[in-house]
This record gives sequence, C-alpha cells and structure tokens, in this order.
Amino acid sequence: MRPTPSSGSARAVAMVAMLVAVAAVLGIVESSLVPALPIPGVRLGLANLAVVLALSLVGRAAALRVSVLRVVVVALATGALGGPAFAMALSGAVASWVVMAWLAGLRTVSPIGWSVAGAAAHVSAQLVVASLITGSGAALLFAPVSLALALGCGLVIGYASRLLLSRLPLVYPEFGTR
Amino acid sequence: MTRGDRIVVAVVVILAIAAWPLAGLAAGRAAAVAVITGPYATYRVPLDTSRRVDVRGLESTVTVVVGAGSVRVAESGCRDRLCVRRGAIDAAGAAIVCAPNGVTVRIGGRDDAPDALIR
Repeated sequence: MRPTPSSGSARAVAMVAMLVAVAAVLGIVESSLVPALPIPGVRLGLANLAVVLALSLVGRAAALRVSVLRVVVVALATGALGGPAFAMALSGAVASWVVMAWLAGLRTVSPIGWSVAGAAAHVSAQLVVASLITGSGAALLFAPVSLALALGCGLVIGYASRLLLSRLPLVYPEFGTR
Repeated sequence: MTRGDRIVVAVVVILAIAAWPLAGLAAGRAAAVAVITGPYATYRVPLDTSRRVDVRGLESTVTVVVGAGSVRVAESGCRDRLCVRRGAIDAAGAAIVCAPNGVTVRIGGRDDAPDALIR
C-alpha cells in the first residue's frame, strides 16, 4: 500500500467522511433497485467501491469505518436498522473487510483481488447469518451460485476501483499515484 | 490482474465448486414433502396435498401455498420479497429463503433425510 495519512489527520477524517457519503449513496441506490436474482445476499456491491478506495487511499482502519458506517447509514435510510437484514449486512461488511484488509497487506494482490475476495467473504458471511436467523441450513444451498456471482461482481467492482484509482489523481492531484 | 489476483480468483472458483455438494446434497430423491421452517414453528406438508399455511415470521406473516406437487410463497411483508419472486419450487433439495422473516421452505424426500444432514 502507498504511504497513507495518519488516521487522526484532518485529511484522513475528511476522506473517510467523503467515502462514507459515497458508499451510503451507492448503498441506498442499490437497495432501492430490485435485486436481479431471488437469492439472499447477492448484490453487485457498488458500495464496496468506496471501501476499496478507503483501503487503498487512507488505510485499513479507515476502510472498516467506511464499511460499518455505510451499513448503519443505509439501514437508517431504509428502515432496516436492528433487523435480520441489518445483521446480514453488518456481518457481510465486517467479513469482507477482514479479508480485504489482510490481502491489502500482501504486495502481490491488487484492488481487483481485494474486491473479489471481499465479495466472496461478503456472500459467505451473509449466507451463514441467514442460516442462523432461519435456523435451517437451507440458505447454504445457494452457496455455489452465490460464490460464482460474487466472483463476477467482485471483478466488476475491482476493475471499476482500479479505473477510479488511476483517474482520481488527474482530477485531484493530492490523491497521488499508486 | 496480478499473480496474487489470479490466485484469489482461483481460490473463489475452487470454493464455489467445493460448495456444490451442498446444493446437490438433498437432490436426487423423489420430492415428497415441503418442510416449512419458521422462527416459531415447523410445518411438514405433503406435496400431493393442497394447503395454504400462514407462517408467523420475525417481521410479518409469510403465506406459503402447497399444491399440485409444488410449493411457493404467495405473500410476505418483507422488503425485497425475494421469497415471492423465487416462484414455485418442485424439485427435491430446492429451497426458498425469506431471511428478513427467518422463514425457509425446503423440499424433502419421503424420509426427509436432509434435516439430519444439513443441520
């Protein structure tokens, strides 16, 4: 990872706030769309774009803040706070952050790899939590399809974030180059 | 894509393939009974009967309709209504999940073995 601003600096706080706003808007937009497939937990994961950017531009702790705050803001906006859907979203957010933060420390993996692994961790955690909530293993029947879709969605978001990371410095020179 | 990315992609592909037996576990037997599991009660309805079950869910009531060898969720008060959109299922091992309500509908065989295997 590139040198990142210290977490308490005004710049880091501003960037986290901005990325939470972006993630929340993307999350709310996505939650208002009708999911393409009737499988719990499968979404394109637009909001993960902001988490990948946070991980790359600010650091691990910032990415966790962006991810968790985004889930809370989206839940507040959609009225899902505290419900089963909130538990699924939160577990997915934390699981994908754990995997992405780990991969971000490895030099050989780029944001595309983070995104794919994060998406896979996200759906896996959601299916496990859905199984716990429903008290039956039926949700796990969707695991192969969900993981295959996570691969596709993760690649899309990964390439999108790579594009953004390469273009951002053109608009905002202070983002520097990777 | 870096070498590390390719390894990540390969791991996810392997996991998806490895998870395949989960989906196949309950298949391959004659579909005989709809197992409806709610947070407060479990119902087993033979598929050759015609019945409407109102299952009390966490957020709202989920109406499950069994008939003509298949089962579907007719109505649910949840947000995305993925359960309703899933439509009717009739194959052994197929499932409908309404996560917000904590309700699942699964098709089991005569002995309903998946209960023991999956849980």
